[in-house]
Amino acid sequence: MNREATDHFFNPRNVGEADAPNFNGRAASLSCGAHVRFSIQVDEAQHVSQARFRAAGCDVLVASASVLTKQVTGITTAEAASPGQDPNGLIEQLGVEPANAQCVKLACTALLDAIRDYSNAARDDWAGDEALICTCFFVSERTIEREIQSRGLQTVAEVTAICNAGGGCGSCHQLIEEILATNDLPG
Amino acid sequence: MIYLDNNATTRVAPEVLEAMQPYLGQYFGNPSSAHTLGREMKHAVEEAREQVASLIGAREPSEIVFTSCGSESDNWAIRGVLATRSEKKHIVTTLVEHEAVRNLCRLLESDGYEVTWLGVDHNGELDLDELRAALRPDTALVSIMLANNETGVLFPINEIGRIVRESSDAVFHVDGVQAVGKIPIDLKNTAVDLFALSGHKLHAPQGIGALYIRPGVSLSPLIIGGAQEQGRRAGTSAVPNIVALGAACRLALADDGHDRIERLRNRLEDEILRRIPNARLNGTADRSKRLPNTSNISFEYVDGQNILLHLDQAGICVSTGSACHSTTHESSPTLRAMNVPYTAAQGSIRFSLGRYNTDEEIDTTLSVLPEIVAKLAEMSPYQEELARLR
Repeated sequence: MNREATDHFFNPRNVGEADAPNFNGRAASLSCGAHVRFSIQVDEAQHVSQARFRAAGCDVLVASASVLTKQVTGITTAEAASPGQDPNGLIEQLGVEPANAQCVKLACTALLDAIRDYSNAARDDWAGDEALICTCFFVSERTIEREIQSRGLQTVAEVTAICNAGGGCGSCHQLIEEILATNDLPG
Repeated sequence: MIYLDNNATTRVAPEVLEAMQPYLGQYFGNPSSAHTLGREMKHAVEEAREQVASLIGAREPSEIVFTSCGSESDNWAIRGVLATRSEKKHIVTTLVEHEAVRNLCRLLESDGYEVTWLGVDHNGELDLDELRAALRPDTALVSIMLANNETGVLFPINEIGRIVRESSDAVFHVDGVQAVGKIPIDLKNTAVDLFALSGHKLHAPQGIGALYIRPGVSLSPLIIGGAQEQGRRAGTSAVPNIVALGAACRLALADDGHDRIERLRNRLEDEILRRIPNARLNGTADRSKRLPNTSNISFEYVDGQNILLHLDQAGICVSTGSACHSTTHESSPTLRAMNVPYTAAQGSIRFSLGRYNTDEEIDTTLSVLPEIVAKLAEMSPYQEELARLR
């Protein structure tokens, strides 16, 4: 770990729970017993307005979680989901040895889990005319269907490439799969 | 720096350093040489042998053979016995042995030996009936430690030796590395056949060990070469280290500081358990069954490595019971064998005191530790569980 990470370990930022209404995620490792939770609050413009964590695990896990709470505050849930999708940037940023890369990943996974908790709730609460599928990039069911039909899309990755849907926290992948299945008509 | 990690290694005592220093200077000869210098070296080695024999209550100095470390002594004892009893393929040992014994027995298992692994109860103690039941006509060796390196729990080797003698013709090896210099040992009045010890645990430098071999016990050599150590262990004698080990044994035998160490340990342990709500002792609460210098304490629901690093930043050296780094990601086999809950094993810290610790150092430790643990408890995701302990 580099100096920045060490400082976050000895002086962890944003410990605790975000103010209500908050959304929560967790991750645990069976192999080492580490356990980490994230708690986030998201404003109406889909920006993470508060991020808090709690952890019982090694110094790398604590440092990663603390750094993540700082980094995601003020950015959109779609942006906040990116270290969860690819933790390598954070691993490099903190100067973590390859042997401890999984500890960084565990923190990223818990954050992603919290964002998915938010996304699932936001989708359920959505009161617009069209069903909202991807809450990170704000993509409706109708848009996704239209793209699938007009371009003959077959996979979630293709849908994401065309309209961003599913490119954030990933909580809508199952829904996109279902839309793909419904539109997979012969001929 | 406050050093509370004396089970890992100890500082070389000034008296020991003084004793060995001439042998790093003007007395540089080979004790196997026939000239005057060589004979002087030989004399120093034999004096050290007597000092080691006295500390552990051997009948004769010739029962002591110098080795390079405790692990060599353990490896030699086990492999040396098995090599002379090739018809016997059964070993009895415990789940809480030091790696030098545990990993060797695992290896022997894959080489065709059958190993009975004795478990321990939640106090870290053996069930001697389990030992009785494990002994068989084809049991070649029983290897059981005297003091556990992590918890300090003592195994009753006198009684174990009697049981081994009564119920089998197995050779009885004891890993005594963690006990020597900390508690009185009198091997001549036991049925112990082989006994391993290591210098750096009792204020000699690293790189010197010894094996006690009861007369009549047949042991194949591990290191083949010259006729040093009565032909039992080849290799030019490490005279400075041997002299140092002798001096360390003399110091341990003469030292009246054991009661003081025990008093400091008791105060540290009592106060930690009293002041920190999520602290719990690992190993029997009966202190007569534990080393006088060791406290293994779990701080439940927080991470032991975190505590270690915070203590280190405050200049205090301790060990964790869990090894969550690089290659291994599991809690200590000793604590697992004791059925210590996972969330407690992850937060275990070993405090091991020594002759240079002071009351002030214990005060300092007690002044910083509760705050460190409280801060980590605040960060813990197990808030409900912690609330129940307050």
